[in-house]
Formats: sequence, C-alpha cells, structure tokens
Amino acid sequence: MTRDQKKILKKALFYLVLAIIVLYLLFPFYWAVSSSLKSESQLNMTPATLIPRDPDTGEISIFTRNYKAIFLNGGFIRGLINSSIVATSTTILALLTGSFAAFALGKLRFKGKTPALYTILAMTMFPQVTVLSGLYAVINALNLSARVSMIFTYLLFTLPFTTWVLTSFFRDLPDEIMQSAQVDGATAFQTFHMILLPLTAPALVTTGLLSFIQAWNEYLFALTFTSIDVEARTVPVAIQYFSGEFARQEPFGEIMAAAVVVTIPIVVLVLIFQKRIVAGLTAGAVKG
Amino acid sequence: MAKSSSANLAREEQKLAFKLLIPAFLILIIIALYPLGQVFYTSFTNREFASTTETQFVGMDNYKALLSFTVKELDPVIDEETGEQAVDEDTGQKMFERPIRVLPRDPHLYRPAFQFNIFGSKYVVGARTPDFISSVWNTLLFTFFSVFFETILGLIVALVVNSEFKGRGAMRAVMLVPWAVITVVSARMWEWMFEPTRAGLFNMLGDRFGFIDGSYAFLSDASLQLPAIIAVDVWKTTPFMALLILAGLQLIPNELYEAAEVDGASKVRQFFNITLPLLKPSLAVALIFRTLDALRVFDVFQVMLSQKRYSMASFNYFQLISARQMGVASAIGVIIFIIIFAFAILYMKSLGVDTE
Repeated sequence: MTRDQKKILKKALFYLVLAIIVLYLLFPFYWAVSSSLKSESQLNMTPATLIPRDPDTGEISIFTRNYKAIFLNGGFIRGLINSSIVATSTTILALLTGSFAAFALGKLRFKGKTPALYTILAMTMFPQVTVLSGLYAVINALNLSARVSMIFTYLLFTLPFTTWVLTSFFRDLPDEIMQSAQVDGATAFQTFHMILLPLTAPALVTTGLLSFIQAWNEYLFALTFTSIDVEARTVPVAIQYFSGEFARQEPFGEIMAAAVVVTIPIVVLVLIFQKRIVAGLTAGAVKG
Repeated sequence: MAKSSSANLAREEQKLAFKLLIPAFLILIIIALYPLGQVFYTSFTNREFASTTETQFVGMDNYKALLSFTVKELDPVIDEETGEQAVDEDTGQKMFERPIRVLPRDPHLYRPAFQFNIFGSKYVVGARTPDFISSVWNTLLFTFFSVFFETILGLIVALVVNSEFKGRGAMRAVMLVPWAVITVVSARMWEWMFEPTRAGLFNMLGDRFGFIDGSYAFLSDASLQLPAIIAVDVWKTTPFMALLILAGLQLIPNELYEAAEVDGASKVRQFFNITLPLLKPSLAVALIFRTLDALRVFDVFQVMLSQKRYSMASFNYFQLISARQMGVASAIGVIIFIIIFAFAILYMKSLGVDTE
C-alpha cells in the first residue's frame, strides 16, 4: 500500500466513525419524527417501517392528524402555557438575585467571600430529591399554588448555577472599569447597574437560556407538586400522562408528535446560541 | 485623610456586598436549608401526609426499617430418590429451597430483595424493605455503568470532533441535539423504540438482522430493564460529557503534539503520554458532576419503569406521594444525601481536585 492509499483509507475510516456518531445522536430523534407521522395502524405494522408507509400498498403515506390532535388537546396546550410561565418566572428571579450576588462575589472585596463562594459551588451540586418531602410539607403548610411552588423551588437549581457562572463573568471584567467609574463619583451600585450589567448582557442571555432549559426540563418537583393540581401540570408531566384522541392503548403517535413539538423550539434556540451555550455549560458543568 | 476615605470605601463595599448577597442567600435558606432541616427532623417521626393519626417521635425506626438486611445461604433441595440436588423440570435449573423459609420473621419480617450465586452456592439478600435495598443497588449499578459508558463514548466523540475536518461546526451542533431533548421526552422516545413487538425499532432491527428470536420485552424483562435505562441515559448525556472533555482537549497546547511528532511518537503513545494526563483535571470534573447527577436519577426510572423497578429517587417519590409516608420518605432523603455526600468527598480526595 502506498502512502497515498494509506492516507485515503485513514480518511475514509475517520468519516465512517463520524457518520456512526451522527447516526447514533440523531436517529432516535428521527424515529420520533417518523413515528409522529404515522397513524395507529401504521404504528402497529410489523415489522416497523423506517418511513411512514401505507399498511396495504406499502407506499409512503404521511399522517398529520397526530399534530392536529395534540393542539386540540387541552392538557398539552395547558402544559405548554404552564411550562412557559414557570420557566420564564424562575429564570427572571434567578437572574435578578443571581446577578446581585455574582457582582458581590466577582468584583467586591469583603470578609467571608471564600465561604460564600464555596456555599454557592456546593449548592450547584445539591441533590434536589433529598429535600422533596421537606419542600412538600412547607408548600402544603403555606398553601402555595402548584405554579408558585414550582417557580420558587426551581430556584434551588437555577439560582446557584446562575450565580456561579455570572461570578466568573464578572471576575473576568477588567477592574479598571470599576475604578474609573468610582473616580467619576459613581457609587458601587451605580457602577454595577449602569456599567457592568450592560457589559454582561451576553452572559445574562447564556445563563438565562440555560436555566430556562433546566426549568423546562424539570420533572421531579413538577410531578410532586402538581399531583393534586392537574391544571398546573407542566410539559414533561403532561407528556407522561398523555391520553390520546384516537388510540385505544398508549397513543404513541401523539406522544411522539408532542415530543417533536416541544423539542424543536429548544433545538433551534440551542443552535442559535450554540457557542455561548457550550461556554456556559462548561463553566457551570451542569446537566440540562 | 486619603487613608480614612479608602477605609470608608472598603466599609461601604463590605456593606454593599452583604446587601447584594442577602436575597440569594435568603432564598437558599428558605428552599434548601430549612427543608433539609425539616427532612432531617421528620425522618425520626412516623409522620403521614394528610392523615389524622398523631405524629410520634420514633427515633431510628425508619432507618432501621429501610436499611436492615440480611444475607442467607439457600440450601439445595435434595431429591429423595436419587440423593442429589433436584432439578426443576420446566427450566432445567437446580432447585434451592425457597427464600421465605430461611429469612427471619420475628420480630420483623424480612422479604427477599434479590439472589446471587457464588461458587455454586446460592444466597438471598433479605430486607425489611426489599424495594429500598433494591433501589439503592439499582441506582449504584445505573450510576456505574452509565457514567462508565458516557465517559468512554464522550471521549471518543470529543477526540473525533477535536480534529480538523469539514463540517466541524455542524457536528458540534448535532452534538447538542440529544442534550436539548427533555429527559422525560427522551425516555418516551426510547420507550417507543423498546416496544415489545416488532413495531418497536429494536425488535424490528434485531429480527431483520437475525440477532434475536421472537421479541424482547425490554422494559418488563427484569434482566433487560437496567441495560435499557442505561442506554437512554448514555444517549442523552454522552454529548454533555463530550463537550466537557472537548473543552479540556482544547487547553492542551498543539506544540506538544508537534514535538512528539518530531520525536517519532506514535498516535497511540501521544494519546497515553500527552492527551490523557493533561486531560485528567477536566475528566475529573466531568466524572464528579455526572456521578453526583446519576446518583439522583429520577426521570428515566419514573417514566419507563415507575413501580416495576425503583431508583432511590423514584422510591422516595413513591413513599411520599403514593404511600404518603412522610417520615419514611424523609429518611430516604437523608440516606440519599449521605450517599451523595460520601461520593463527593471520595471523588475529591482520590482525584485530588482543586476546587478553585
């Protein structure tokens, strides 16, 4: 074998591995899309077909009523609305309180800074399930509604994460900016909200997006706190308790349609903010 | 004068810092510290949710009920005619006496959690709450295997994506897709692929390529449940692992590889002598985060197996919401906390992670 042949072989092998990886990462999602376009009889065809086909003729036939059905399904729409309200509110609260704390931790000198930093870092790893029964008791004692409970309890993971990531962004901003503002007679708080905050806008977008995704994803608290309030179910809970329009058994066609509908906006967002999200993820190292 | 004004400034700064930190810490106290104390306290009581019975202090009873277990050997069943161990006519397996006969009944009933074989002897693990002992075991197995496969696959993906090729940007975008899928949704997607008939993807593929005879009920067959769940988690989380490792790879200076190339070191040697040692800090961080995350796994277990097989978290949920046993659920919460805490300390110590 000549050197050139060897080189070509190596390249071919590389692209083969690459193709396998892409297939592995994308195929389950493709399967969901393809299944969402099948009617119940197409879903029950054995063997299953890679593309939706007519059970009798074997020709390609696309069935779109699953998508119509989920948008006529009150539970799913309610889930989308609830999830949007909960995830947006908790993100805003986390950014607000988190950016205050992060400014103090990243730019100000004060006693007790190190223990405060360690507390926040430890909190990013806090296992939410351990306080489940305690939170449930508190919520019942205070008689909080399920939506309000979710908004507040989601701060348990969004707040430490936002604070931690924003702290590193604040720390990286040059000290001179603050000093020159101080020379000009600005108070530290003015420096914060008039100069530093605008500078960290990109970081706010990233951390906001990541905490939104985490909140959108959350299942344990949502399932627990909405157990007696069906109206407040968020998307993950709604998808779990999906009852179908047409199907007698589990309506997998509609479930897959719902899966595609809730996944596409997030995938689009993630692709738009790809670079920043990767930076934020590696800074915070938190799974979404 | 200048000195006192700078001292003033410092005092101002200190004051401002505290003011800015108050909201965040207040929230964390209300939603983390206080409930944690509440959980700790409740774990020593027999509190039931929405019940009229008065809550009593029961000391360590919840913990004893959850954690008591015993291992007993099962004696072989001897066939009276042949004097040898009897064999089940249906399955062809050697017969052992039933676990219920060797496990203690008084003062508490022990029920079988699972059985295992060593050197031809059969043992049964009995527990007062077999579901909890099994849930701890399930969670540990899940954590070990999913983190192991995620690390290996994540490393491979990261190494591939780190090399120069056309479409690298697109590849990075592709990597984010499984990460962006909601965990519950990905569990539902895989649940459908695991369908026990040939309508399910895996049974269809297995049948077409002749790997399997008939079809597998991945989520009902006890020996396939954990592998199926692990497969879902590995798919969902490998990209995250790959991203963390990729960030570490990009910190390694290219000159090192160039120098190694000049010295004639093979690619394999370069990997073991340069890449792996320099990657250790990023790998360590990724491992810690993933392990601590996997130990509290809830979503996939709850969606795909619900009450067929528990993780620690899903058993906690079951005790709290379905059984309404707040005291027991709190004790489970405390045990999970201790297990996760122990893992965190162990990891930090053994990997020598610098938290700064």
